[in-house]
Amino acid sequence: MEASTIIYSTAAVIGTIIVAFIVSLWLPGIERKFVHARIQQRIGPPISSPGFMAPLKFFFKETITPNSPVPRLYNALPLVAILSIFFILLFLIPQMYFLGALASVIAIVGLLKVEEVIYVFMGSLSQSVMSLSMPFPDVVKGAKHQKVTRSFLENLSSLRAFRLIAFGSFPLYLAIFVPVAMAGSVFLGDIVSYQQIHGPILFTVAGAIGAIVFFMGYMILLNEYPFAILKTKADVIEGPYMEYAAKYRAYNYIARGFLMFALGALFSVLFLGIPPNLFSVGILVNIVVALLFPIFMAVMSAFSPIFTNKQFYPVVTGLSLLGVLAIIAAFI
Amino acid sequence: MDEDKKSSRPGVIETEITMGPVHSAAIEPYRVRLFVEDEIVKDAEITVGVNHRGIERIMEGLPVEKANSLTEKICGICSNSHIWNSVLVAEKGLGIEVPERAAYIRVIMEELERLHSHLLYLAHGNEVLGHETFAMRLFYIRETVMELLRMIGGNRVQYGVSIIGGVRPRCELDEMRIQKIIQGMDYLEEKIADFADRFVSDPMVISRITGTCPIPKKEALRLAVSGPTLRATGVELDLRRDMKEYDPFEFDVITQEGGDVKANLLMRVLESFESIKIIRQAIKDLPKGPITDRSWEMQDTDVIKSYIEVPRGRLYHSYRLEDGRVRGSIVRTPSMTNIGAMQYACIGHHITDAQLGIVQCDPCFTCTDRAIQIIKL
Repeated sequence: MEASTIIYSTAAVIGTIIVAFIVSLWLPGIERKFVHARIQQRIGPPISSPGFMAPLKFFFKETITPNSPVPRLYNALPLVAILSIFFILLFLIPQMYFLGALASVIAIVGLLKVEEVIYVFMGSLSQSVMSLSMPFPDVVKGAKHQKVTRSFLENLSSLRAFRLIAFGSFPLYLAIFVPVAMAGSVFLGDIVSYQQIHGPILFTVAGAIGAIVFFMGYMILLNEYPFAILKTKADVIEGPYMEYAAKYRAYNYIARGFLMFALGALFSVLFLGIPPNLFSVGILVNIVVALLFPIFMAVMSAFSPIFTNKQFYPVVTGLSLLGVLAIIAAFI
Repeated sequence: MDEDKKSSRPGVIETEITMGPVHSAAIEPYRVRLFVEDEIVKDAEITVGVNHRGIERIMEGLPVEKANSLTEKICGICSNSHIWNSVLVAEKGLGIEVPERAAYIRVIMEELERLHSHLLYLAHGNEVLGHETFAMRLFYIRETVMELLRMIGGNRVQYGVSIIGGVRPRCELDEMRIQKIIQGMDYLEEKIADFADRFVSDPMVISRITGTCPIPKKEALRLAVSGPTLRATGVELDLRRDMKEYDPFEFDVITQEGGDVKANLLMRVLESFESIKIIRQAIKDLPKGPITDRSWEMQDTDVIKSYIEVPRGRLYHSYRLEDGRVRGSIVRTPSMTNIGAMQYACIGHHITDAQLGIVQCDPCFTCTDRAIQIIKL
């Protein structure tokens, strides 16, 4: 390989990641300022506040030791999440398609699963003062059921994260496999090539259904209302994030924005055949998709109450069936 | 554990989840212990006591006018109800006849406060449901009520309208104020109706609230539930029917069936229309004349009790007068009797619905929190 090619590829990869990172810092602000606040007829926060200024502020806050049995591991988990999202984005860039199996749908699914599993660990490792450890003289003589195992709110969110892994994220993964079924390959390079020849998968029946399912799966994975069972204010409050402070909370904010962009880029690759590449006009499509998804998501979430199991399971089952239908349609 | 609520594994409780006294779904400090099995609440225990201020103790020995003003501080939502009832105790004891115009103004204030309380209840209910857009919309609608209350009383909360013998001179309703109230009622009627249409036609919201945390009529009566929460179970009981201040007004006692979250939310919506109806009648027939009777003389009294229907239910105030000072004051707010219903409502439902089950009973624990815990050493 020539030196100029290596330099070009390296610049493309680094440049794309930097652009993705910069755009991702503004996505939470766009979601809250331009959609939630507009719908709710209020001014809302400055656009830079939720994604950029808030994390920046947190970097200058004093770090506290979280109330956790393994505080260092607990604090390291957001960084692991950022890392897994970083690799998802890295493998989506066309200059990385030479990596073979790593630049495949299987690797992407694996990395997304890592991101999901982190919430199980976060929940089980957090023991916040907002939960069981808040001092209150209620378990005294005369109180009900004194010998029952007492559980932290975060443990509950940890169990819910487990359910999301086992069941909730099904629609997203089914949607991801629609382009695989159409292109007949799990490699991202093949899926992009297929679409360059046959046109975007989005504009086929299977692709359109798959895109809808993908979008709903995107909302579930991002724990947005009405699917925010992991961090329901009515019970588990912030769920697994409860004990994060200062820079570790900032990492969480960054991870969420970054995941928004990465999933948008994944959609562009799988359903439009346009991978993120700084030196191609296609990056604009990636950015537009990354901007549109949070906007649609915010509209949906602004008009929905939080789901409980009674609503969550039927909706996820329905979406999964739709995903299966899309895969069957892809084969036809 | 309540035997009426069947369990697949009776007596089995896996875990206790505690919420509060500081929790994002609770706007006041209280503690709820939920005993759950696979996220289904099997039993619940609510504990209050964090916000004890000892207002009755502070009232002891105060001049009655000062003590009445102090009762307003019990609640930030139904402050007018407290001062009204406290003033009624003194008026009953001293045999004071309130001028008719003053009685009408008191009713207008009380119904405005009911609107304010019910709209706040609906907004908070929607917040706990996770529907922030509805909550924000309701807060906007409520703003009109708050401005009307400020116009009459001078404050958005704690208006100090009722005094012994009538209402404060600054709360007189002139033509400009009357026009503003009329306009406000037209606006509120339209906006609350729009909201109700939108609310009941939302399938996701209806799915969340229908059949959630119901309180059967029989249980509600057993638990001595009071106010709109009782009427949402189908019991037609409203103390306003027995209050002489409400005799001149035509209004319906709204009831719903089932006592679930849906019934409770709709109950408040429909009661809001009745409040608007009462305010319109009061404005239309507002008598002329003085608003304060100052011809009374202070004297000692026995313990006098007074019950009135406030936005959350039945409010009780009692004290006796000695040399113009308050002795042995007791206040009991409706939330005190509704705590049992809150605990009951959670049982058998998903943990996310538990806070909704509590909120559906419209708790005001800060008002309730006056009990003194005596620890025997």
